[in-house]
Amino acid sequence: MLESLPRRNINQMESLTTTTLAALELLFSGNPELWEIIAISFRVSGVAILVASPPALLVAFILAYYQFPGRRLLISINSTLLSVPAVVVGLTLFILLSRQGPLGEWKLLFTQTAMVLGQIALAFPILVAMGHSALQACDRRAWETARTLGATPIRALITIMREARFGLMAALLAAFGRIIAEVGASMMLGGNILHYTRNIPTAIALESSKGEFAQGIALGLVLLILAFTLNAFLQHFQGKGQPA
Amino acid sequence: MTTADQFNVQCLKKHFAKRQVLDEVAFSLQAGQTHLLSGDNGAGKTTLLRILAGLEKPDSIQIDLGKGPLNWRHVKKTLQHHALYLHQHPYMFDGTVTYNLDYAIGAKLTKRERQLQIDKALEWADLRQLSHAPAKTLSGGEKQRVSLARAWLKRPSILLLDEPTSNLDQESRHRTLGLLEAFKSDGTAMLLASHDPMHFPSLIDQHLRLDQGKLIRIDDQKLFEFDQTHPNFRSTA
Repeated sequence: MLESLPRRNINQMESLTTTTLAALELLFSGNPELWEIIAISFRVSGVAILVASPPALLVAFILAYYQFPGRRLLISINSTLLSVPAVVVGLTLFILLSRQGPLGEWKLLFTQTAMVLGQIALAFPILVAMGHSALQACDRRAWETARTLGATPIRALITIMREARFGLMAALLAAFGRIIAEVGASMMLGGNILHYTRNIPTAIALESSKGEFAQGIALGLVLLILAFTLNAFLQHFQGKGQPA
Repeated sequence: MTTADQFNVQCLKKHFAKRQVLDEVAFSLQAGQTHLLSGDNGAGKTTLLRILAGLEKPDSIQIDLGKGPLNWRHVKKTLQHHALYLHQHPYMFDGTVTYNLDYAIGAKLTKRERQLQIDKALEWADLRQLSHAPAKTLSGGEKQRVSLARAWLKRPSILLLDEPTSNLDQESRHRTLGLLEAFKSDGTAMLLASHDPMHFPSLIDQHLRLDQGKLIRIDDQKLFEFDQTHPNFRSTA
């Protein structure tokens, strides 16, 4: 990739500083290929979070507010899913979406949609687990007060989400941070196709394997800056909250 | 029968584990009357109030609406329509006092009409100077007044109060009692759970006591009409 730029083969004599400066130059020179990769990453992960959040938070709410048979089992299964490696999620979906697989007719393999599906599968348990904790920590009187003041269940649910927004925001950011940085599922389901399914983590893997450390570091810096920005945003957001 | 002025509850049962907290409780609430509900810790006062607010499912309950037996879903809807429950420690939504009052106003009103309602409620509860204060930072007495102002905006037929003056200083208690008197004057039926009847000398029309799941009528006033034919009804009068 980035054939238009001078290739910077990293050898043992080159210092980390030089490579990092080259990475910054790549990043801030507005290189279209680099920024296209970044855009694909954000688009795929953004769509995945947008699709996964509403059902995941609804499940989190049901787990936090309702008692029903199998609730504990569901929580245990979700906790187990948290620790499933991304590459296993990728492999599972790969089998399902491959030509011979049960969903092969959808012809989704090596598309951005397949990557979105993989990232939804990765984000969902994080959103459920952290959302469940956030909603369970929310004072029960909030729900009861809303209901006794005449709020419909939907309005009361929105109220609870608002009351627990700092915890829920942390869940969203944690899930987004996880999926935008994962390489296993994206590589297997997207195929790392330039201009189409090559995102930040798969590009880092590819460029590093080619010895193009500058590009790898540039994209890694994007992830670092993203992580810092998300956390700074969360801290700022939480700082505005009042203690209960 | 439950009418606009009278709300009859019968066969109210609730158990937790092996303990029967409410055992065939039956009573009536009358408009404009205040009914004190006393009992030891764990006697079931809060459970009774929460059931009447539709917040907790009983084992059984009968509310005669002249439509024959109703399932819990219908009963719950009726209860939530008529009754409003105020927690011992009121919950304030994250936001200003105005936001908290606005929450209690129906969505059908215009912004101007909503503000008018909020202004009236602020005036009614003497909260005008706190209208823009974050509700969570208020004192216990102020929170209680916000909570009563929210209830006032809803105009419930029945107000269910759980220890409304506990942990309040004398000044706050006095102001809270003043607001409760106003509810009474407006014709609201109130069921007020408290350990100490002496806190509400001028307010109470009827004294009920929960003891081992049974509802006991302490005095003999006829303002509160019980189903005295019920086998599980006991009176100390």
